[in-house]
Amino acid sequence: MAYSDKVVDHYNNPRNVGTLDKSSQEVGTGLVGAPECGDVMRLQIKVNPDTQVIEEAKFKTFGCGSAIASSSLATEWIKGRTVEDALAIKNTDIVKELSLPPVKIHCSVLAEDAIRAAISDWKKKNGVAEAAAAETAAQ
Amino acid sequence: MLKVIESAVPVACWSCAVAHNEATLFCPHCSKIQPPSGGDFFSVFGLKPCLNLDLTGLEHEFHRLSRKLHPDRFARAGENEKQWSLADTALLNDAYRTLKDPIHRTEYLLKLHGAEIGEEHSRKDRRDPSRVPADLLEEVFDLNMQLEEMRAAKKMGEDDPALQASLEQAKAKFEGLLDEVDDSLRAQWSKWDAGDAGARAAAQKEMVALLDRRRYLNNLVRDVTETLGA
Repeated sequence: MAYSDKVVDHYNNPRNVGTLDKSSQEVGTGLVGAPECGDVMRLQIKVNPDTQVIEEAKFKTFGCGSAIASSSLATEWIKGRTVEDALAIKNTDIVKELSLPPVKIHCSVLAEDAIRAAISDWKKKNGVAEAAAAETAAQ
Repeated sequence: MLKVIESAVPVACWSCAVAHNEATLFCPHCSKIQPPSGGDFFSVFGLKPCLNLDLTGLEHEFHRLSRKLHPDRFARAGENEKQWSLADTALLNDAYRTLKDPIHRTEYLLKLHGAEIGEEHSRKDRRDPSRVPADLLEEVFDLNMQLEEMRAAKKMGEDDPALQASLEQAKAKFEGLLDEVDDSLRAQWSKWDAGDAGARAAAQKEMVALLDRRRYLNNLVRDVTETLGA
């Protein structure tokens, strides 16, 4: 199975690899994993408290090329969006953009889960009502 | 993909025409070799699907059947029987390899009963957070960071005794967790073997989760071993 050019590009030049200060009030951290393949993905966001815009996004992923590309793309997409806008990103968008084959769809699911987990962590820290977020996550 | 177990359909022996509903390699009536049946690996050994297996008995039966199936014994037999001795031997080897290994056996039995294991269930776009061993994630992540550091240090030809010690400690810990998972798996084996349909369904669910956790831990131990040994 060959990786698409976009996957290879993200794999060779991953965007936004790194760490944000976990203890900062403005930072939300999402840590997710896929037991199927043993991948772990950490995605962090730094949110502007006034505008709720995600100003920084960093990730670190241990896993296959598709998992790295999915999280790299996810950080690119959520940067500059508001928290609510970022929640609109669906794993299927990532699948389409990266032309992921069916066996690698779970990598995109993981990236979507990571975005949600990071936002949910940020909301918890900042006392933003969790009800709505919990509802979306349960779907 | 394996098919889900169905009750065996009686097959008539090609030689003596007596119908038998066991998926055997040899006709129970006239002892002639039979073409590979569509039965499962357990039936190759005349067993009902179960998880607590007598491994000595299994090995014994494997050797006995291997000898009986040996192509040399069919040198003067018909063309069909010659072919079947090869095909049955291949089936017997696959069956033995799968059943003698406790993890392969468990995965095989669960798949027979329709469970989706490993990569297979990931093909479906669904999420079930209860499947993710959340308590492990943090540790797994930290360990991966240390491994990366260790690989970088080795590449530069540097020694980092503190990191080395920490990784060895982690390895021991994850090996311990792996043992715990195996103990839990064995406990579920007995529940499955003895249980009714309800108990079996519950045990199956437990075992799928345990196997996920095990795969995770196994990969970690492998990675640490590789990095430390490199």
